[in-house]
Amino acid sequence: MKKRYPTKNRVLLVNITRLGDMLQATPTIAGIKAENPGCHISVLVEKQFEEVCRVIPNIDEIIGIDLNYVVKNLAREKDGVNDAYEYVTTVVDELRAKNFDYCLNMSSSAYTALLLSLIGIERNGGWTADDEGYRVIQTDWARLFATSVFHQNRQYNSLNLVDVFRASADVDTHPRHLLINVEPEARSHCQRLIDEAGFTNSGPLIAVQAGASQGKRQWSPVRFVRMIKILTERHNARVVLTGAGKESAIIDPIVEGCASPNVVSVAGKTTVPQIAAMLSLSDVLVTGDTGPMHISVAVGTPVVSMFLASAFGFETGPYSEGNIVLQPVLGCAPCNPNKPCSKPECHDMITPELVAHLAIARVAGEVREVSPELADPRGVIVYRSEFDSFGFCDLVPINGVSNDPFIRYRKAYRKLWLDDIGGFSLEASRRPSQLNVVGEDLRGLSEVTQCAERGQGLMDTLSTYVRDAGITAGQLKQINEEISELDRLIEELGLTHAPLGALTRMFVFSKENLQGSDPLDLASQMKGIYQDLERRCQKFAAYYAGI
Amino acid sequence: MNPLEKLAEQMKSDWDRRVGHDYRFWMGEGHFDDARMWKTGGDDFAAIAEGIAGGSSCVALEIGCGVGRMIKAAAERFGRVVGIDVSRLAIDKAREFIGPTPKVDLVVGSGVDLSPVESHSVDFVWSYGSLACMPVPVIANYLAEMKRVLKPSGIARVQIYLGQEMLVHERDTLHLRSFTPENFVKGAVLAGFESRVCSERCIGEDTAGTLGLKNCVVQLVPNSRPSTTAEEIAKALLPNGESHAAQEVNPAALEAWMALNYAEALADNGEAQRAKEAVEYVVANCQSATIDTQDILSRVLSKATKGIADEVASQGIPYPSQEAMYADNLAVLRERFPSAYARVVTPLDKDASDIVVRGTQDGAAIFAGSLCLDHAEKPRAAGEAWVRRSILEQRIKNAQEVVVVGFGAGYHLESMIEISGKRVSCCEPNLTVFQRALRVRDLRPVLSTLTHLAVGEETLTFALAEGSELLVRPQTAALHPEYVERAQSLCYSKRGFTDLHPKIAVLGPFHGGTLPTATYTYQALQRMGQRVRGIDMSGFNDGFMLLEQFVKNEARHGAMRGHYVDLVSQVLLESFHEKPIDILICMAQAPISAKALTELRSRGVITVLWFAEDYLRFTYWREMAKYYDFVFTIQKGECIERIKAAGAAEVHYLPMACDPYFHAPLRLSQEDKERWGSPFSFVGAGYHNRVQTFASLANYPFKIWGSEWPSGKPFDRLVQEESRRIKPEEYIKIFNATDVNLNLHSSSERDGIDPSGDFVNPRTFELAASGAFQLCDNRQLLPELLEVGTEVVTFSSREEMIEKMEYYLARPEERKQICERARARVMRDHSYDRRMEQMLSTIYASKYEMLRQRESASPWGDMIRRAANDPELKERCQRAMMRGEEPALDGLIADIVTGKGKLSETEQKLLFMHHVKSQIIRIRSEESGARK
Repeated sequence: MKKRYPTKNRVLLVNITRLGDMLQATPTIAGIKAENPGCHISVLVEKQFEEVCRVIPNIDEIIGIDLNYVVKNLAREKDGVNDAYEYVTTVVDELRAKNFDYCLNMSSSAYTALLLSLIGIERNGGWTADDEGYRVIQTDWARLFATSVFHQNRQYNSLNLVDVFRASADVDTHPRHLLINVEPEARSHCQRLIDEAGFTNSGPLIAVQAGASQGKRQWSPVRFVRMIKILTERHNARVVLTGAGKESAIIDPIVEGCASPNVVSVAGKTTVPQIAAMLSLSDVLVTGDTGPMHISVAVGTPVVSMFLASAFGFETGPYSEGNIVLQPVLGCAPCNPNKPCSKPECHDMITPELVAHLAIARVAGEVREVSPELADPRGVIVYRSEFDSFGFCDLVPINGVSNDPFIRYRKAYRKLWLDDIGGFSLEASRRPSQLNVVGEDLRGLSEVTQCAERGQGLMDTLSTYVRDAGITAGQLKQINEEISELDRLIEELGLTHAPLGALTRMFVFSKENLQGSDPLDLASQMKGIYQDLERRCQKFAAYYAGI
Repeated sequence: MNPLEKLAEQMKSDWDRRVGHDYRFWMGEGHFDDARMWKTGGDDFAAIAEGIAGGSSCVALEIGCGVGRMIKAAAERFGRVVGIDVSRLAIDKAREFIGPTPKVDLVVGSGVDLSPVESHSVDFVWSYGSLACMPVPVIANYLAEMKRVLKPSGIARVQIYLGQEMLVHERDTLHLRSFTPENFVKGAVLAGFESRVCSERCIGEDTAGTLGLKNCVVQLVPNSRPSTTAEEIAKALLPNGESHAAQEVNPAALEAWMALNYAEALADNGEAQRAKEAVEYVVANCQSATIDTQDILSRVLSKATKGIADEVASQGIPYPSQEAMYADNLAVLRERFPSAYARVVTPLDKDASDIVVRGTQDGAAIFAGSLCLDHAEKPRAAGEAWVRRSILEQRIKNAQEVVVVGFGAGYHLESMIEISGKRVSCCEPNLTVFQRALRVRDLRPVLSTLTHLAVGEETLTFALAEGSELLVRPQTAALHPEYVERAQSLCYSKRGFTDLHPKIAVLGPFHGGTLPTATYTYQALQRMGQRVRGIDMSGFNDGFMLLEQFVKNEARHGAMRGHYVDLVSQVLLESFHEKPIDILICMAQAPISAKALTELRSRGVITVLWFAEDYLRFTYWREMAKYYDFVFTIQKGECIERIKAAGAAEVHYLPMACDPYFHAPLRLSQEDKERWGSPFSFVGAGYHNRVQTFASLANYPFKIWGSEWPSGKPFDRLVQEESRRIKPEEYIKIFNATDVNLNLHSSSERDGIDPSGDFVNPRTFELAASGAFQLCDNRQLLPELLEVGTEVVTFSSREEMIEKMEYYLARPEERKQICERARARVMRDHSYDRRMEQMLSTIYASKYEMLRQRESASPWGDMIRRAANDPELKERCQRAMMRGEEPALDGLIADIVTGKGKLSETEQKLLFMHHVKSQIIRIRSEESGARK
């Protein structure tokens, strides 16, 4: 794989706010350690996750930043601002003193970018900001990350963000699953909980994570009750409901609705290490796209996971082989994470019977096929998680042929990025341009390609102008206007033709990262960016045609 | 010590202090005598325990029983009564009152729980006037404790305030807590009570009403659910918790305010000694009070001292003068302060027989009538005590020179010189006082040491240097208020413009003549670089006028207008809550209620009314004046006296003005000249005297502009454009396009020209500023504003008016010269900018210290002080404050723009904080969304 910063010595990983994100970084951390023996890895997390992060292997130092302290003091008004400011100054000074030589920040938040700009680490795998406050993304993989999570482009992406994150950090060698330490005491504690639960069934132990991070991703308690009743009443299963104390509003009605000795809730009674231990003792976890899903994968317990509302399995699906992912097929799915939904019809696409069936089947062994009669691929696609030959996680549909309109685009993009920014050798990349054969599906692509060609020409002209001392201000102004107009057109083509969005977005991100102020150098960098766009358009067309 | 214990300590010390001062006031509902306290205690118990059966086997418990005000009444109804209070002094007093009886147990509690009381042992728990002053975590703990001690069949009744939440500092044990009804119900449910807010009985009318709160008794009946933790109850009661900001609400201010008012009431009641004790209590315990209590303090001192002095004066023996000592003193005076010497030796024309000297144990003391200028018994010790207290004031601490206003017999000056270690100067307005002092005390050491000395009513001869602070003897303030005001003005009004940055709001009316004045005032303050906010209320006018269509009955219509103003006032209060202000300037007719003004003043806001009306015609000042700290009038003499008598703290003359940026000469197009122009014009409404006067101008080339004119002859020809209201920008065109503008002040009663008319209308200044020629009716106050004959031409009768109209129409050059002089004069002396300087000078003169303390204690003050070591942050804070930003991060970053050059490290850090805040708030709202 192409690597931007192959060697790393003192590494800062910024992963501030969510445990799930931290877990998803574990293959990267392990990979950095494996490829840079002796390197020192520090992780910057929000103070409240500091303790939890101790279960993450391969970390040398956990640095907690107390964002709540900042927010609390800001809310206090008066000199609360000074307290917050002094705290930030201390944090920045302490981080600077650690002399990191590499930083990987995959949180796209503006505040982490500003923090890194303040710390001033030269080599960055992810987001940072320049000294004018503009976003800077140095690596192609990190730009791809930003491109892929841009809502319009999500459907066209099939690369799991764990891999994109990993590749942003130049990591090739990785364990192909997430990692977490299971503490023996936690394990025996959970075993005791199970032993003392009073189960009357003796079948599989099935963990159910009912709570979700957003209301619209919340499968209703009634459905969970039906699903659990099937498991306990027909399959002799024992069910443990996991979750946090604050999820009791969801979990309590489920326990009450099931009214069975074979259903117990440990919600709010377990620490993160204990949840990990409980999942390690379970045969399968039924869940949404949640933190416990990642924990389960990390402890090696397979999951049957529902990707409802804004959740998208390709993006944040379970990162290991052999998990089941259910993705509803609906015009609006996956929806925009930032918009509410008052009628989540995607919830209806997944039946309790199907989930129960898949859970039991997965307990029995690998599930490589599901009958379309059981799960109609027009309503829900059932995927199995696998790794491709380059070590990138993928989802393979197992309930027959779906009419998923995005499948071909996804495959083409997957190949394009692995080839073009990953440097992996794919046969089709050597094919000649197929632009003329792609027709309606890739409408707008030839215009984008022409724009890219025109851009290169303009850069040549600009370079000539810059070198020519006799250039008039009017000429410079004119060419600048042409360039602006051209770039606007490229961006608009991406927005008008959704399948091209990822290509043009990558172009925009690259443009944002022009470095320096020498006009000739800038023109040369910009020409390279137009060349990248043209080349990627051609490769994309070729891969698309080859599928 | 855990947080709850810390709060308990605070409560204990606060309440012991207050009870130590005067239990009747702090715990007896403010009564002067015990008998009244027992009476109201009985009444209040009857109210709170209404319908509760009691009985010999029943046990009742009062939380916060104080000195037992309600315990006596309770003991008549219950077999056993337990009173618990955090103050040992209160319980000791209660025991003394009630005496040993097996029926009553009086217990000093921890302040936060009911630990001496067994579980499930009480039939009735009540709390009155007590819970509301406790920190919310303590209230929460008591709710849980009530549940614990009550029998399952028991009942609790608590008096609390429901309505909007009040922001109170968590360690404040005096300001009222209040809860939204919903949150209180939630808190009570968590404490294990069936929490229907029973009967919502309002007990009396009190300050709560003005704050939008209901003073309620709530009944709590235990249910089968156990109480949750006090933390959870507290969270439910007040989800955002109490304030931790040190200056959020300053309990010392309220305490000082209450005690001083009490002192005043006592003084009024003739209880001089107790009044004095109350004042001493404030001085000793309320150092951090930032509200301006100086007024009350002066009044109380003068009343209290009067009482004491009367006694002494009646017993004392006149002190013999010592001529030799006088000669020695004079010798030093002549050498050090020749001008003071010259005044002293000049014979007095006034009879100063009310200034007398009497003997005390320390020597002579001087009295002005019955008011002692020193101390009637121990002037030396009292002088020293005054100095010791005074030098604790921060401004005096920081001063290089202290200028004491008031010489008296000089005891306090001796102490000041000895103790303060600063340069000391003195001014004494009363020459006789000083002469008497020279005769009865050896003042050579004082006179040798003073830096400056000024004596006599008219003389403030020395300039007050930077770093000097005035320190006014309360007695002198009471005797010579105008002198003190002048001294303060000299010292502080200029200083105010450099040192102070108050947030000023200008509140306009719904409609009418002062609407544009509000705009001019606002703009002038803006030009002066003040932090000003214009509040345009004209948008509410449509609703206000609409009331008429719905309610025709005059009385009801009036009531509806009152309600409408109440509503608008509430909106204003909320707005000022969000964006606090320091000074509110209300234009005449500004729609703000007495309640709202009271609330603002209790928040320390200085309220100002620019009463640009004829006080005889518009008399609402009678009811409203007392709600203003300053009233500025356009009339003098009786107007000022009467408005003062109506309760305004200060009343000053401030005539109307012009806006030099708006009222200016115009170059008019031919079309404009034709439309607006005329040899003679008048702009204004058709008041009686104008109608009567202008009717005779029917044969002149005369145009009348404005509304409310009669429609018949001759006005049908004179009045322009269907008698519509003319806009300010149109006035200027008319003024400029007219050769001779008539300016006749309105009168609803008089015919023609009002011979006793005094004030000068805005039009006079506006015409002059527009470079237009005017003929103005004679006004008593006009000559001091514009020189008659050279800057303005006046008339006293219709005949004179007509004569001058013809004269000046024929003499354009003469008109031009008058116009030029008039314009130069108003530009210099009569702009709104100048008026605002005068207004602020007046305000700063008496409120400088209050505003300085307020600013210093303001959020920006805190932030700037804290940023002392970070010049850029400090500068950003100062800039944001001057821009009028709110004292929070958003204000600090408002001018940071990404992508406009390199961001400094400070800017990056502030932006970082801003983004952290947004992100965390977003995540929290997502999480709460998920739980819903």
